[in-house]
Amino acid sequence: MKTVTAVVAFAMFLGAGTAGAQKLLWQTSGQGPQQLVRFLYPQQVTLPAGKPATIEIHFLVNEGLHINSHEPRQKSLIRTELIEAEPVGVTIAAVDFPPGTDYAFPADPSEKLSVYSGEFVLKMHLTAQRGNHQVAGELRYQACDAHTCFPPRNLPVPIDVIGQ
Amino acid sequence: MRRNIFVLAALVTALALMIAAGIINFVHRRRAEEAKLRGMKMALVPDNAAAGDTPDAAAMEAAASDDDIATPLNGKTAPGFTLADLNGNKVSLASYKGRPLVVDFWATWCAPCKVEIPWFEKLHDQYASQGLEILGVSTDDLDQDDPAKLFTEKRDIADFVAKMHMNYPVLLGEDAVEDKWGIDAMPTTFFIDRSGKIVASTVGLAPREMIDADIRKAIGSGAS
Repeated sequence: MKTVTAVVAFAMFLGAGTAGAQKLLWQTSGQGPQQLVRFLYPQQVTLPAGKPATIEIHFLVNEGLHINSHEPRQKSLIRTELIEAEPVGVTIAAVDFPPGTDYAFPADPSEKLSVYSGEFVLKMHLTAQRGNHQVAGELRYQACDAHTCFPPRNLPVPIDVIGQ
Repeated sequence: MRRNIFVLAALVTALALMIAAGIINFVHRRRAEEAKLRGMKMALVPDNAAAGDTPDAAAMEAAASDDDIATPLNGKTAPGFTLADLNGNKVSLASYKGRPLVVDFWATWCAPCKVEIPWFEKLHDQYASQGLEILGVSTDDLDQDDPAKLFTEKRDIADFVAKMHMNYPVLLGEDAVEDKWGIDAMPTTFFIDRSGKIVASTVGLAPREMIDADIRKAIGSGAS
């Protein structure tokens, strides 16, 4: 009977895997729209308690896409921002954004935009008190490819901060 | 023992059937996905592509009609809506029935939309004698809970419209309408004939000649 139970469990495992594999590129996950930028790392950092520190937060823009930098050249464009939720015991002094790189749409080469593409890194300056904390930030961005733009999205950026 | 073997055999069979169904389903969906991407790729050929590289409307339609995935509203009656214009007047899609119509979903933050809008202005003039109407639907977020912010957001849209010299009505989009029309990328444009049927649509910046061809299709179709 143990064999039968194992087979049932295996079947359920495979069934779940098959269902998961059916999600398509443009389908939403049920938890909001598909993200076009990935939060790479760090998921956890350990900092000296009570002392100012800097952490580097790495993101990757999906291939073929770009997002506006923190300082787009036109007022109407949506800048990339990090929305931080400071937990008790953590003070965020500032977040530095890298400068954007120039980009022009093929249909309008004269108009240069300031964008991030590929991997980019934000520097967060913070101080953590002793203990475990979670900084639950969100990266707000608006992505385009060479011909199409997608509505602005918020990417969760949860980072466990350990002060010791 | 014999009973266990029977149960085991039944489970293995069920498992094999589940895996086979999953694979078939996955392959089918994968093909649908490739059809959609093909359709989008054809719609996104740069405006400055060589003439030989420019897809014609028939090829675009062929790609789009594959499994009816690329543009699911093609061939269907345009979903109705009533939206406010920049002056707060309600504008109903139904009031445009009997006239060829272009409905363009755009946003102030969408750079490719800024390339397309001047084309629409010229095409609007070019085909005015044939009854062509164009409606722009702004998909910019509007904060309905904050009157001050809402005022600023509407003013920004109005400033954009003035700066771009848009010579056709611009409506303020709503999530429910955008959901019904399947809008998740900008610009997305629908070409609607006199009977209210969507005869063509494009996602992303389409070549001007394709937009022109789609307008002519809307003008020439659906006459009663």
